[in-house]
Amino acid sequence: MPASKIALDFIDFCEKQTDVAKIEDRFVATLNALGYEHIACASHVDPLRPRPGAVSIVNYPMPWLEHYSHGDFARIDPVFLAARIMTSPFNWDECLTKMRLSREQKRVLAEGADYGLAGGMTIPLRSPDVMPASCSLVAGPDGVDPLAMAHTLMVVIYGHGALHRRLNPNALAEPVILPPRERECLTLAGRGKSDWVIGELLGVSGRTAHNSIERAKKRYGVSSRTQAVVRAVFDAQINVDDLSN
Amino acid sequence: MIYIVSTENRQAFHHLLTEMHRHRKQVFIDKLHWRLDHNAGLEIDAYDSEDAIYLIESKTPRGEISVSARLLPTERPHLLGEQFRDLCETPPPTGPNVWEATRFCPAPDTPAGEPRRLMLGRMIAGIMETALIFGIDQVTYVADAALAPLARKVGWDVRALGPPRGKGRHKIQAFAARIDADGLRRVRQAFAINAPLIRFVPAEPARAA
Repeated sequence: MPASKIALDFIDFCEKQTDVAKIEDRFVATLNALGYEHIACASHVDPLRPRPGAVSIVNYPMPWLEHYSHGDFARIDPVFLAARIMTSPFNWDECLTKMRLSREQKRVLAEGADYGLAGGMTIPLRSPDVMPASCSLVAGPDGVDPLAMAHTLMVVIYGHGALHRRLNPNALAEPVILPPRERECLTLAGRGKSDWVIGELLGVSGRTAHNSIERAKKRYGVSSRTQAVVRAVFDAQINVDDLSN
Repeated sequence: MIYIVSTENRQAFHHLLTEMHRHRKQVFIDKLHWRLDHNAGLEIDAYDSEDAIYLIESKTPRGEISVSARLLPTERPHLLGEQFRDLCETPPPTGPNVWEATRFCPAPDTPAGEPRRLMLGRMIAGIMETALIFGIDQVTYVADAALAPLARKVGWDVRALGPPRGKGRHKIQAFAARIDADGLRRVRQAFAINAPLIRFVPAEPARAA
């Protein structure tokens, strides 16, 4: 079957299917059909302890995943590191040789290669949750037709998006939007200012500043200012540059 | 040997094709700084399709590539017809018996000088052999100042399609080469090639899933 048909059928399937497990299976089957054998489409966390609500489809060999999890490799995995920096798909051989890697990081790559995880490609993904995410693909023995690249990207980006939507059905319905006053106060709190200083800077009372920040905390359902600031940064309500003096 | 990779058998050549696109990225983008797009380390353009015929020199279908080139049917969109139209004084030859050769790509680590010259010779012979099999009588191409005189010197029956454009090393010119058995003989002689170079390996019948 031509790659374009494989990809379009998958998208069609995602549109109609609401069962997450079925979409996950079809995601793997579709990428298998394009010639990929090993797939890891997930947030950059321990693959055996995925975050709730986060997409996590990993079919790497289980002994490797156990070893990876045991060694806490997610924290130093050079592929994750590169995926956070790169804005477009990259292949491991080309990209990772340009990075200055520690001995431990080189070990992660070498040991992964022993499990057949070599010569892969990674597609950085924009994930609406807090953790960065990516999809890594390693071709099977017959390789992948280079002309199928565009269809691979289509399947991965669409599939990841569809799964994220199904896993977080309310994400679009209830986005947090901070009113200007709360955003200003929270930004200044993020810069370490006290209620009184925030009040002085904005020309309001310390009490008003305090109440604004409390309301922002409530919107995010968190109990500390630090948590609220971090959430607001990840939600792009606060620009990280505005936190530096 | 030089493998012919076409729509009929490309399924058996995913590895060589991927490696070829990787070489093209390293040579044309990293080394020569051509303004081309790339993705995940592969240079693939709008003219790469199932209709293109690739000539890839390698010892095995999984081996390392020494040189590759792309042949495009001129009845479909091709570079001379779309990108380099201004290099031709009159409309360039097109039709079922005309191919366009592009993306001549020696491996990135090919030493300059003699090894490169021999490689080019083998690829010219490979293009001629393939063209003769497919009943092609003309091959058009755009060459830079270094390549243009060589093709003529080795006995390829070549005519310019227009005046050169650009300066010095960046001078480029469009050509049409005649394909016939005499020309192939001359090219083989010039490069001391004494046996056919090309090989066509049919793809295995699709396996049951």
